[in-house]
Amino acid sequence: MKDNNPLSPHIQIYNWHISSLVSISHRITGVINIIAVILIFFWIASLFLGTDNYKVVFSFLNSYLGKFLMIGITWSFSFQILSEVRHWFWDMGYGFELKTSRISGLFVIFGSFLLSIVIYLFGRNIF
Amino acid sequence: MVQINLPQNSKIQKGEYYKDKTGSKNIRKVNIYRWDPSTKENPRIDTYEVDMDNCPSKVLDILNKIKNEIDPSLAYRRSCSHGVCGSCAMNMDGKNGLACTKSHSEIKGDINIYPLPHLKVLKDLIGDLSILYKQYESIEPWLKTSNIKEDKENIQSRPDRAKLDGLYECIMCACCSTSCPSYWWNGDKYLGPAVLLQAYRWIMDSRDQDRKERLKKVADELKLYRCHTIMNCTNACPKGLNPAKAIASIKKMLATG
Repeated sequence: MKDNNPLSPHIQIYNWHISSLVSISHRITGVINIIAVILIFFWIASLFLGTDNYKVVFSFLNSYLGKFLMIGITWSFSFQILSEVRHWFWDMGYGFELKTSRISGLFVIFGSFLLSIVIYLFGRNIF
Repeated sequence: MVQINLPQNSKIQKGEYYKDKTGSKNIRKVNIYRWDPSTKENPRIDTYEVDMDNCPSKVLDILNKIKNEIDPSLAYRRSCSHGVCGSCAMNMDGKNGLACTKSHSEIKGDINIYPLPHLKVLKDLIGDLSILYKQYESIEPWLKTSNIKEDKENIQSRPDRAKLDGLYECIMCACCSTSCPSYWWNGDKYLGPAVLLQAYRWIMDSRDQDRKERLKKVADELKLYRCHTIMNCTNACPKGLNPAKAIASIKKMLATG
């Protein structure tokens, strides 16, 4: 009989909180980063294949799509780094109070954009 | 397993609309999840227009008003109406809580009321919590001693007693466990925040002599480590407790020995 009973709605109706948003983003950026690291290895491998091969990669990375991807990956790494720092504190037993976790979550979200900009400016030798 | 969509028999349909008959000018629309086990129909959302001029302050008061004055077929659990028994736990305005302590003035716009998330629905707002109760039983929530003399008091010092503050207050309303996405996807194996908070409560009790065994039993990839600090539990707890912190404390005890 139980199998006929409906399942009450869950993710469809549940409000997002900062902490749940950061948690799911942590997972998504983690997956993106693994793919990104693999791509970076291909990029390095293309160096060994000689100038012609590297040129293809080089021109792709300098296209708008390439730049968008690189900046996106930079953000993804920034987010993962900051969120991981938050997890370290949690693993040591700190920062579980609602207010603290909300502030640290906001810090991760805004900090990830800020850190991406800083890394970008470093890359362009602006500092 | 992660399953975002609801199964076919759980898809929600549009329900009935109960227009206000009092002629009141202070009306709020209340949308309530309904499912009747005696029919083979899918669940539906019924909408009630409620006269707020003659309604006390809590969401439970709205439900009582609807049941008494508009639609007596509405089913929900309630008992103490003072936030002590945990019966009226439900999902209001996208967040779990106790209907008897949640003020409807905190909710903006229409009031949406659902049963606790990701449970088998028994009727309307009543979800089946039997799995959670079995899991609660599995952590053996009672004092375990072997060499205590029965004719003597089993004394606990004040500092030791203070370690149970923030743990013993739990009323097992299941707001936290049913707010947890990890518990949604792995509720059959993962113990969930409510039960883990209680597991920690008994691990921390200075009078208990089964601490090592308790820790060993809970140290499991699925039972404990499905907690990914999403923190929905702490956000939802109507008693202001912190299950996320309790789970982290268990993890820390296991890691540091």
